[in-house]
Amino acid sequence: MLVKWPYQTSDMREPATASPLLALTGITKRFLGVTALNGVSFELRRGEVHALCGENGAGKSTLMKILSGQLQPDAGEIVYKGAPVRFASTPQAQAAGVAMIHQELNLVPHLSVAENIFLAREPRRGPFIDRRRLHAESRRCLDRLGVDIAPQAIVRTLSVAQRQMVEIAKALSIDAEVLIMDEPTSSLTESETELLFKVIAELRRAGVALVYISHRLDEMARIVDRVTVLRDGRHVSTGDFAASSVDEVVERMVGRALEDKFPPPTRVPSSEVLLSVRGLARRGVFEDVGFELRRGEILGFAGLMGAGRTEVARAVFGADLPDTGTVRLGGEALQIRSPRDAIRHGIAYLSEDRKGHGLALNMTVAHNVSLANMAGVANALGFIRFEREASVAQRYIDSLAIRTPSTRQAVRLLSGGNQQKVVIAKWLFRDSRVLFFDEPTRGIDVGAKYAIYKLLDELAAQGIGVVLISSELPEILGMTDRVAVFHAGRLRTVLDTRHTDQEEVMQHASGLAATETP
Amino acid sequence: MNDKQKDLFQKFAALASLFGLTIVFAFVSDAFLTVGNGMTVALQVTSIAYLGIGATCVIITGGIDLSVGAILALSGVVSALAVKAGAPVPAGMLAGVLVGALCGVVNGVAVTWLRLPPFIATLGMMLVARGVALQITDAKAIGSLGDSFAEIGNGSLWRVATVGADGFPDVSFPGIPYPVLLMVLLAVAVAVMLNRTTLGRHLYAIGSNSEAARLSGVNVRGVTLFAYVLSGTLAGLTGCVLASRLVTAQPSEGLMYELDAIAAAVIGGTSLSGGVGTISGTVIGAFVIGILRNGLNMGGVSAFTQQIVIGMVILLTVWIDQMRHRR
Repeated sequence: MLVKWPYQTSDMREPATASPLLALTGITKRFLGVTALNGVSFELRRGEVHALCGENGAGKSTLMKILSGQLQPDAGEIVYKGAPVRFASTPQAQAAGVAMIHQELNLVPHLSVAENIFLAREPRRGPFIDRRRLHAESRRCLDRLGVDIAPQAIVRTLSVAQRQMVEIAKALSIDAEVLIMDEPTSSLTESETELLFKVIAELRRAGVALVYISHRLDEMARIVDRVTVLRDGRHVSTGDFAASSVDEVVERMVGRALEDKFPPPTRVPSSEVLLSVRGLARRGVFEDVGFELRRGEILGFAGLMGAGRTEVARAVFGADLPDTGTVRLGGEALQIRSPRDAIRHGIAYLSEDRKGHGLALNMTVAHNVSLANMAGVANALGFIRFEREASVAQRYIDSLAIRTPSTRQAVRLLSGGNQQKVVIAKWLFRDSRVLFFDEPTRGIDVGAKYAIYKLLDELAAQGIGVVLISSELPEILGMTDRVAVFHAGRLRTVLDTRHTDQEEVMQHASGLAATETP
Repeated sequence: MNDKQKDLFQKFAALASLFGLTIVFAFVSDAFLTVGNGMTVALQVTSIAYLGIGATCVIITGGIDLSVGAILALSGVVSALAVKAGAPVPAGMLAGVLVGALCGVVNGVAVTWLRLPPFIATLGMMLVARGVALQITDAKAIGSLGDSFAEIGNGSLWRVATVGADGFPDVSFPGIPYPVLLMVLLAVAVAVMLNRTTLGRHLYAIGSNSEAARLSGVNVRGVTLFAYVLSGTLAGLTGCVLASRLVTAQPSEGLMYELDAIAAAVIGGTSLSGGVGTISGTVIGAFVIGILRNGLNMGGVSAFTQQIVIGMVILLTVWIDQMRHRR
């Protein structure tokens, strides 16, 4: 089941009440001389889902952090339920009924679901935790969401989607009237997204005001009432979502008309096999995976979450060692025992988890860019040539349009999309013959996405073999030459992108189609 | 403020407190601000500085080395025993340093290949090294090691002295003690390694995000191992220099020195969560501790009170550091 949603379903949309529950006016916030927000206004009504759109670094997260008490504005006013307020801290905002669910979920992995929901607010009997009430009340919150999670379950054992439900349950337990969701669907599968949307509709009916931040404009159409667009820290527009098309929203976000989602291909895939993988297996993770990557082509890896796409890429790269299988590059059999070996042979892997696996967040932009290719900025004795390192970083800042005050900025201070560009720059600087891109556009705005697509095409045009792992089917279909479809740890088939469609790919990905030998 | 400026600020704060202490103690005691006492302080600081330089590298990778105090004792007695057994002094000292390096290898292997938490691995080494040192000496000090053994710890460069009429030397300039010279050389060499070389960059990268470093092709195990070997080697060197200074090797030498080393690094702005730290900061930190001890001594403050003061200084510095980062 995928896409082509009815633009909107009537049962999810009842008119929201008109009086604003919350109004932010003239909010200004500066960070060390950089103006993140400049006189931004934002209004929220009871029982509406209000989308907040903008490119990376437009100020969405900053605005919501101010609303939820994590940051203090330099100027501006917040009026909540008719009275001016200033939330000095998150607990203070929560006490007033404003809760935020972060992209990186904030749960304690080793505690149970119930303990997380009532963390620091545990029901007590005397000095002891009242376990019975703790579990009963957690149960009640979870039931309201209609999700089947045991209050006793340890959070570490839950899927990302379940953890998100726990976060929402936590918000419900404090009787949140304003709920802010930052990229809630970015790591959910289709069916999990479906469940989330049901929950959102439910909350909306109950009168909760929801702020919804997402880069997936297509899915917004189903749940969003109004949309506010920010650009460069300024308010651009607010209006009914139904009245404005997705394209219009995108235009307002980037400040110009966007012709195409995908660049026209300039690459010409050759028939020469560059990378050949045979009989690759990791016990319990994936079995008997074999595929060929040709010079100058973009090969897609499609499949549902947990199908084994990322795991296969990591095994080829040496990040996890496979139990069996052979990898040949340009006809030569490789012994890859670590990422170091793979990189030496010209294979690079750009991880889907940029904060966990991609970046040294405390280090500077320049230091991150050079990390995979120190020899490229150092002399023969291993002494770093700083001017060279800075000029290399500057080159990529210019060519990838990375928004940073300087090459010496710590990466942790950049916005998500710009962080992603730094990771990409790191691998571009390390000349490679094969590049695995795992979800390169996740959490990235439309303008930047286009730039990354163009880059993938250019790399392939230079004769590099590119593997694009993506959960977004339109991206797979728009950008690849062939697509390898995974299901449950097996490579089901390899399709020619020109002669396939979403339905066929989904059938293989969900295991419905008969298996073909790839 | 970018990170470079923050770094400067941190150093400036530590440096300012160093000057502050010097001024206060100069008022308390007339003998404090003299060339002779300056050299004494520098000499006393050397041990903390050697160990602190090693500790800084280990802490930058996100680890910790608790074994340096014990390794120091073991290395000292090994070199003394070797010399007693007839080995020439340089060979005996080399043996001591190598024992330290070997302990560092064991620490590094335990942390990287056996994947033990650094705290546990080096805690084990602390007990083992101390135990061995006590065992091979029967818990007795080894004395009368001879003049040549004392040279490196007590000699100095550019010492100007004339033998007076009474037969005693008349010192017009005490010279620069060899241990102080060694400290400067080590500090410069390791600072250059950390700042300017690929190896140093990899140390920071591992401390900042070891998985990202591994996936970027950094030899995480090798580089981490290097940090522990460096720390062990420097501990071995400290043991030899200290034994030479006292012309005695004690198996109970260097008790709690590992904590001084860690404190020096932390006062100097090294973060225990890894990825942050400088040698210049650590050297300043070592001097803060050394001057506090020396000044309090001259002011007649008891050893117990000194501990209390130094403990509070550590808490205060780290608290200020945390406050600054939280903003």
